[in-house]
Amino acid sequence: MADKPVYEEASIDGQPPKLASIPASDTTVWADASPLLQAACAGLRDGELIHGDNFNLFAAMSALEIMDPKMDSGIVCTYYSIDEAIENGAAPIPISLDSTIDVRCTIDIMDHLLACEAAWHKGHSLAQTVFSCIYLLRLDRTAPHALLHSYCRIIRATCKAVVSVVSDARTHEEEDLFTMTYGLPLNGDGDDKCLSILNAVEETISRQLRACKATSSKRRLPEDLEPLQSNPNLEEGFCKALLCRLRFRKHFFHVLSCMKRPQGRGLESARKHIASCLTELESILKSADFLRSCFDESCEGDIDDKTTASGFEPIGFDAMLNSRLSAPTPPRAIKILSWKKAVEYFVKLLHDLDVICSYSLDPHLESLLRFVVQFQKSQPDLVARSHLQLLLVQDGKLYGRDPFFAVINKAAALPEATKNHDIQKNESFLQLGMLVMNLLKILCTNAAWQRRKLGKFLQDWRVIYVQLELAFRNEYGEVSSSSNDENTCMKIFQHILLWVEEQTYWIAFRFLILGFELELYSTGEYCMVYWYLYAVLIKLTEKTHLMMAVSHDNAKRKGKKKKDSPKDLARESRIPPAVLFLQCYICLAEGLSMMLAALRNEIPVFHSPSPFNTEHEKFVQHFELLQRACIPDHVSYPSYKESTTHARFSTLAMYNYFKDAQRIAKEVKSSFSNDPERLGGRWGRNVPFGWIHFSSYLK
Amino acid sequence: MEAKPEEKAEIEAPEIEYVSYGGEHHLPLIMNLVDQELSEPYSIFTYRYFVYLWPQLSFLAFHKGKCVGTVVCKMGEHRNTFRGYIAMLVVIKPYRGRGIATELVTRSIRMMMESGCEEVTLEAEVTNKGALALYGRLGFIRAKRLFHYYLNGVDAFRLKLLFPPPRQVL
Repeated sequence: MADKPVYEEASIDGQPPKLASIPASDTTVWADASPLLQAACAGLRDGELIHGDNFNLFAAMSALEIMDPKMDSGIVCTYYSIDEAIENGAAPIPISLDSTIDVRCTIDIMDHLLACEAAWHKGHSLAQTVFSCIYLLRLDRTAPHALLHSYCRIIRATCKAVVSVVSDARTHEEEDLFTMTYGLPLNGDGDDKCLSILNAVEETISRQLRACKATSSKRRLPEDLEPLQSNPNLEEGFCKALLCRLRFRKHFFHVLSCMKRPQGRGLESARKHIASCLTELESILKSADFLRSCFDESCEGDIDDKTTASGFEPIGFDAMLNSRLSAPTPPRAIKILSWKKAVEYFVKLLHDLDVICSYSLDPHLESLLRFVVQFQKSQPDLVARSHLQLLLVQDGKLYGRDPFFAVINKAAALPEATKNHDIQKNESFLQLGMLVMNLLKILCTNAAWQRRKLGKFLQDWRVIYVQLELAFRNEYGEVSSSSNDENTCMKIFQHILLWVEEQTYWIAFRFLILGFELELYSTGEYCMVYWYLYAVLIKLTEKTHLMMAVSHDNAKRKGKKKKDSPKDLARESRIPPAVLFLQCYICLAEGLSMMLAALRNEIPVFHSPSPFNTEHEKFVQHFELLQRACIPDHVSYPSYKESTTHARFSTLAMYNYFKDAQRIAKEVKSSFSNDPERLGGRWGRNVPFGWIHFSSYLK
Repeated sequence: MEAKPEEKAEIEAPEIEYVSYGGEHHLPLIMNLVDQELSEPYSIFTYRYFVYLWPQLSFLAFHKGKCVGTVVCKMGEHRNTFRGYIAMLVVIKPYRGRGIATELVTRSIRMMMESGCEEVTLEAEVTNKGALALYGRLGFIRAKRLFHYYLNGVDAFRLKLLFPPPRQVL
């Protein structure tokens, strides 16, 4: 088809002339179809459409108007191609012949790249953020500029590493934009040496810093080193500004490498590098004062909005060059984060990663679940969450270390010996292992997606319970055997069945609670939500209590040499604190539900019917997934109505739910007084906002 | 869709005329309104898709001959349910806060109900308090939250209205 493009006079909206017609070849000829099209348009009435048989109005919606900048991502904005941009001096090397300006511009590029990177992490496409950098798109040509070259290389290697982590975690739906790298030069030859290249540059600048300090203190160093730039007054400031930026990148790359090591072996080292990253980020922030003041010209606009510490616009970036490679959405100018916000983002990311690296890889599933739920409270972003997920689930094992059957075995309070039992090869137990693995993955996703998935997941847990129960009945139906192995199998089934139920209600509880966090409930729906929570909590508490009783029996059976002291016996008959805690929740849920029902029953303004449906429909919608999985059984809209129709303020006064909750909470607190960390319990700090406040309000 | 106290038009409620989509002559009115108020570019084909296939579901609000609001919808089979979808709802600023949007939407929903829809759905920005209140009053619940649904990174709620099962005729 086309040979070399022919440049001729053409202008689009007053832009300089760019690429025009494609020349005809031997077998083709161009003909002007404009008159024909015009005649056809004139012949059509308003609303008529000429279309092929298989092209309908629905398909027409995807039509783009060519040359409409809001729709046409191929439209030429500034340059037709990267090469043209370079030919027109959009990304000069060196950036300036004045070494001082060259250094400052290099720092600007580094800062803007950080801002781009943060914007990418936050959800924009790589093509429009980090790879809007022309230097990065043609990295080889930066070779003569050691500083820029080494920095670009490590950025590229870092992006590749991060894409790899997030890809492995298999993110979903709205987060898929992150891993789109089609057409971008992410794989560079020699990027595996990026650290040594960076180290060489760092070493040079360190020597330059030492040299300029020596000069100022009138000492002479043996080496005759060329300074970084030509203004001796600014040498120290620039060296320091560069060093912290280079070191940040180095340590950040190390963090990613360490965290990638299997079975959490690199977590401790990662923490050290995280600490170094945070130190360097502080230095980077401090360097802003110097960078802003080192030139006479001040920059326009609000400094806080700028994407560089100096406030100057960076050279060598054009987001529209890659418009065809960015998201499959209409072209949009995206707002790159300000430099300050970018630094804040990285500080948060590093803190989140540090929390992950500090985790003790507890083999107890209960502790792990508590940890993940707590971790999610700080609303970690995609990169942090992906790292957590990859730490937890590797090679089909927990932490790449513990087979899931062993994990379930421990969680179900079975003796250590049964974790290797052959029963785990049974299809149902294999599936159960998969469910636990998937649960962990789901719990690492963003809250919105997580809740949707948890809701659907309930069905899977119900099904596995039914399957296991069926298998149990088939094998051990009415027969009571004395065979040791059969006894063991029975015990495994019994424990795990109970544990599956407990786990299912826990998931249901999380599903309902997340609705508060995601603001899915309007205030008029709180009554039914708290009521359903109450119903779920009753079952959850029952199963948890049973689970604890069964695990306690096990401990007893391990054999105690000395006789039970009266104190031990007393402790045994007490309700375990974790169960007490749940009972506290039950009081709160019931109390809130009754209170809201009473309000609605007694004060007409709180009862506002909608024109198209009733509370029944809303109940069905909110709890559809739970109802479908029969969680809990025998709970329905009629039973909800029955419980709440007669709620009045007078009945509330007869029983103070909140006082009970307070009393139980105090009891729980005292029993955990030796272990404040466990005070939170498994459901610990998941109390939705206002719960405990409420109880103190309504004494 | 919060009403601003300044530049509010002086009107009496009965002065607003509600009209079902009547043909090509209404299309530029709808397009102008939507282009003004919403940031997403819709080609003319998008409008045509809705008003050609479901003209009975789109309504316009007029005040003294001027088009001040519109709603554009569709309905169809979706995973074994027959459901309506509200695509666009606009009322120009000086006319907000008077229930015009509610009236437009109500008419459309009523038509959907009469046409046999089992439910109605739409997406709204989580920050759009006005829309959330409007639809909440009509019986919609927030069925899902969609993370970073919009290009500017804002989340959306999927709102759903479930109609009660049709009354049995005795």
